[in-house]
Order: sequence, then structure tokens, then C-alpha cells
Amino acid sequence: MRRMDRGEFLKSAGLFSGAVLLSGCGSSSGSGSSAGPKSHPPISSEPGNLAILEWGGYEAAGTKAQKYWKIPGKAYTDKFGANGITYTYIVNDSQALQKASQVPFDIMHPCNENTPDYVSRGLVQPWDTSLLPSFSELNPFFVDKAKVNGEQYMIPWDWGYASLTYNKNHVDPADATSWDLAWNSKYKGKIALWDGAASNLEVAALKLGFPEMDNMSSDQLNQAKQALIDQKPLNKFYWQSEYGDMQPALKNESIWIAYSWQDVPPILGANKFVFMDPKEGRLSWFCGFMLGANTKNYRHAHEYVESFINKKACVDMMNIYYYGTANSTVKSSDIKDQSLAKALDLGNPEAIAAPNVHLQSWEKNRSAYDLAWEEVKAA
Amino acid sequence: MTHPARRRRRRVRLPRGLLTLPPTFYVVALLLGPIVLIALYSFNLRSQYPGMPTAFSTSNWHDFLRGANNPFRDRFIYSMKVTLLVSVGTVLAAYPLAYYLAFVARKRRYTFLLLVLAPFFTSYLLRIIAWRIILGNNGVVSWVLVHLHIVQQGHTPSWLIYSTFSVALVLFYTWVPFVALPIFVVLENMDRRVLEAAQDLGANGFTAFWRVTFPLSVPGVMAGFVFVLIPTTGEFIAPLLVGGPNNYMFGNAIQSLFASTADWNYGSVLALWLVAVVVVLMIVFGRYLSADLQERDAT
Repeated sequence: MRRMDRGEFLKSAGLFSGAVLLSGCGSSSGSGSSAGPKSHPPISSEPGNLAILEWGGYEAAGTKAQKYWKIPGKAYTDKFGANGITYTYIVNDSQALQKASQVPFDIMHPCNENTPDYVSRGLVQPWDTSLLPSFSELNPFFVDKAKVNGEQYMIPWDWGYASLTYNKNHVDPADATSWDLAWNSKYKGKIALWDGAASNLEVAALKLGFPEMDNMSSDQLNQAKQALIDQKPLNKFYWQSEYGDMQPALKNESIWIAYSWQDVPPILGANKFVFMDPKEGRLSWFCGFMLGANTKNYRHAHEYVESFINKKACVDMMNIYYYGTANSTVKSSDIKDQSLAKALDLGNPEAIAAPNVHLQSWEKNRSAYDLAWEEVKAA
Repeated sequence: MTHPARRRRRRVRLPRGLLTLPPTFYVVALLLGPIVLIALYSFNLRSQYPGMPTAFSTSNWHDFLRGANNPFRDRFIYSMKVTLLVSVGTVLAAYPLAYYLAFVARKRRYTFLLLVLAPFFTSYLLRIIAWRIILGNNGVVSWVLVHLHIVQQGHTPSWLIYSTFSVALVLFYTWVPFVALPIFVVLENMDRRVLEAAQDLGANGFTAFWRVTFPLSVPGVMAGFVFVLIPTTGEFIAPLLVGGPNNYMFGNAIQSLFASTADWNYGSVLALWLVAVVVVLMIVFGRYLSADLQERDAT
């Protein structure tokens, strides 16, 4: 039996994913595309017990877990009740893919950079966009980016930027012009990066000036890993939960600097917290809903997603969670916090791919990124 | 004609091997089976992703055992140091507690024992989160230090939380009552006449303790030590919640490789290594304990 060394194994894992993806490209009719609405039983015949892989805080309004927003998901829970919905929670993208690979879900909520992995592993099927009345309102830029092999595998919903948020009462604004802020020993013990696997390697890549943060060579990846090992002693902790760890620590000032999304200053107070605009550029991301490959709740899943992507739900989400939404009918005037509308550049449909903004994208050597992050944590 | 009682006895007699079948089944299905599966993953003979090509490889093992500056190996050494520190500290703290319960508390000993165990009726996770509140920057300890003017607001010691100290403290707190139990049982069952004999022979209180009580309680001490040592080698919750980035333990690396990032193959190497270490510890301490029991049986 031929032996395989570690590098070969990681390469083969990447090539395997790529090969499956490319084989999908050759055929324009995926398993799900031929399955139109007529091939699925009526919604009344479906069990209606939706199993959803979700980030904490994103549950449908009307469920016991949802304490904040009132509209996203409400149309669904009003119509079908909330008792049939079961959420499984995730804290980062790698974990999301991991869980989705082990247990079948009806709906998943991954981010753009992972979409090809879900498709290549056969975990998802394309949506029937004709069952989503609000689909036509979605930003075509996101809609196009959310396609794999020409098919609508993801329904884009939330988007935003990632950078460092800092407390301006403690951090000199002159220090906060670059990702180097996270490496500034002046703030030792007052920094918290996210335990977000690949995201930190992307940050290190931007700091080191590597142009392709999601396609680093193995030498570049090692340099990025070393940079994060050097940075590690400066952290108070690596945060796992935005609302459970990071925001409370910023609020009580046990940390002054955190990797975050743009929602932190509006939530904790823009008079005290600043979302940094680093000279190397911010990260950007968008996430959306994917449909389980073998779901028995095909129409329920469409109803559920429609209850999230309609304009009212999107406005509510933006005003409460301060993320962008893919629904392009949401205008600046709908947003209570005009500074947020300005920060998100709401009038620009391609804001997340603007110059000096780095849209997180698929990493063909994802497993090498993940292992590098584990090595940083273990170092 | 057979006597009815003898007939009955013959009917209930089962082959001795048959009685071992249920435990054998449990051991194979719930212990050996998973270990074999983990071993297959560790040699890349299985993948968590259906359809992923697999081929026998020792590269993960080689990387862990021989790779230059392997961070997981360093993490294992760090974890063993913390584990030993916690185990020794816990036994030292639990002994006086057990002694008090066995020799001083008298009729109230079971009430006190219940009080000691009371916090353990709540979940382990909640207790650790409570420690986060106690040790946190704006927590109870900081508040006391600031209000006693020992430190200034915002200048509480950085090692209070997210440090080796906080991990060791939480583990210490977790295990003290459990270590006290086997020591208490041994002390409680001790033949008090040997202490009277020691006093009759002129031994003072300390000498009687050191020459009689303590040697007789060593099996309880060893059992308590093993109680802490073995589970703490794989601990990951306390370091995750109060450890901070520089104090992750070996168990965190295993948990993360299985649950967070997607490398079950490498995670299996670490898990199997930990199983091997625990087995060695059990053999070492198990032999000591069984030798002690044999000695007691002989006497």
C-alpha cells in the first residue's frame, strides 16, 4: 500500500474537493436543478420539522430562542408554528462545514467562501427561486456570487465588513490605521482576536502584504502562521461568541481592541468605539441560506427563507443587528442609524467588493489553513 | 429420585464464560471499538468526509512524535505539568478536609460532607462560568481588591483570569471534594485501636498520625490522586473558558481538531496518544493500588 505524507494528504484533500467541484461544472444540470417544484409533494405532506444549522441569535422571530428581532422568520412561525424548528449552533465557518458534513440539515447558513465546499461534498441542492417571491428584490451582485456551477445554491441574506474595533478612550487613533494594531505590544492583554480559523490567517496575510489572502502558498501560509504565533501573547483571549464573549469584554473594558464586524460601535456606542478602516483594507463577507441535499421539508425550507429575505424582515434585521442585507429595496431612509447606512455604503450594490475591501472567498487549501490555525492555538 | 433443592441449584448454574459476555460486549462496543476507529483515522485509513480518498500513512504520527517544534507536543507537556500541579495540590488540600470529616466532625460529618458536595449538584459548565464572573476584570475578586485599595481600578492583576493560575484554580476547586471522598472512606474505616496502641506506646499526636494514620490512608490518597490525574489530562472546558490563548491544554487541541476545524485524522493521533498515556498511568497506579489491596487481604 502506497504511503502518503502529510503534505500529500492535505493536497489530495484539496484536489479531491476541487475535482468534485469541477466535475459539477461539466454538468449544468445538478441533482437539484431538475427537481422543480412539481416533483416535490405539497407542503401539507411535508413533516415540517425543520433542522437548521445556524449562528446564535439568528433564530426566527416567534421561537423561544429569538429575543431581539420581531420580523425575520415571523411569517413562517405565524403560519406553521415554532415548535417544529430545531437549531444547531455554530461559532465559526470551519465548524459549520464540519457539522454540516456529519448531520443532515434542511437549511444551513454558511458564508460565501464556503459555498463550493458544501456543493462539492453533496450537502446541498439548488433552490427553486420561483418559490421565493422576494428573490427578485435581492442584489444581483450577491445573487451572482452565490451561484455555483451556474445554479442558485445560496440565497444571500446578510453581509458586512470585518476589521478591528477599538476603544478610543484607550487606544491612540494614530496607532489604529493598520492591522498592525493587533500586533502592537503597547496594548498587550487588551486585544481579542476571533477563534475564527481562516479569518485570522487572512488578517495576517493582509498585514504581511500577501495579495491573495485566500490562496497563499505554503511558504506564505507559514509566515502568516508565524505572525499569528508572535501576536498570540498580546491577546487576552480568542473570542468564541460575539455576544457572549467579545462585546461584554469590550463593554467592561477588559479588552480595548477586538476583531469584529461593523455592528459593534452602533451596539456599544459610537462615541466610544471605532470600527477601524485599516490602510491594507477591511475584510468583507456575505452569508446566506443553503438547502439540504436530502431535505424532506423542501417547501417548508423555501417558506422559511422567504420569511427572512422579504424587505420588512431585512429592515428589522439591519436596525437591530446592524448588518447589511442582500435585499436591495432596503434604502438608507429605512435605517434608523444613518451612520450605519453610510458605513455600509448602502447605495453601492458592490460595496463589499469595493477597492481596498477584501471579500473573503473560497480557499482551495482550506484544510491547511485550518491546521495552521490549530497550530497557532497550540503554540 | 433427585432432591428438589439440588435440582434447582443445577438449573441456575450458568457457564462461567456466559456471565462475562455482557461486560465483554460493553467493553468491546463502547471502548475498544471506538479506539480502533480512532486508530484507523490516525493512520489516514478513514476520513470524516464520505468519498474522500484514503491511504495508509504514518505522517501524522511522525509529525506529532518527531516533527521539529511540534506545537501539539509542547501543549501535551504543558498539560501534564498543569495536571501534576493540580493533582498534587488537590490531594494536599483534600487530606485535611477528609481528616476533619473522619476524626473531628463526628456526628455532623455527613452533614458537612453534603455541604462540601452541594455546589456539585449544579452543572460543571455553570460552575466554571461562575468562576469567570468571580475572577474577571470587573469580577468579585477585582471589586474586593479595588475597594480595599490594594489595587487601582483597571489595574487588577492580569493573572487572575486567562492564565495558568485560573485554569489550575478552577480544576483544583472542581476536584477537591472528589479527592476528599476516597481519603475520607479510608480514614473512616480505619481501625481506631491501632491509634490507641500507638498512644499507649508513647507516640504523641503528630507521631501517631505520621507513623500510623498517614501510612494506612495512602491507598485513599493514591486513589484520589488518580481520580484527578486521569480526567485532567484530557480537560478542555476549564482552559477554554478561563484559560485564554496561551493556556490551552492538550484536550483543547483534540476538541478543536474534531469539533471546530476539520482534521479528524490529526485529532485522532492526539486522542490516541492521550489514551495511551492514560492507560500507562492506570497500569502504574493500578498496580500500586492492587498490590496494596493484596497486602491488606493477606493481613
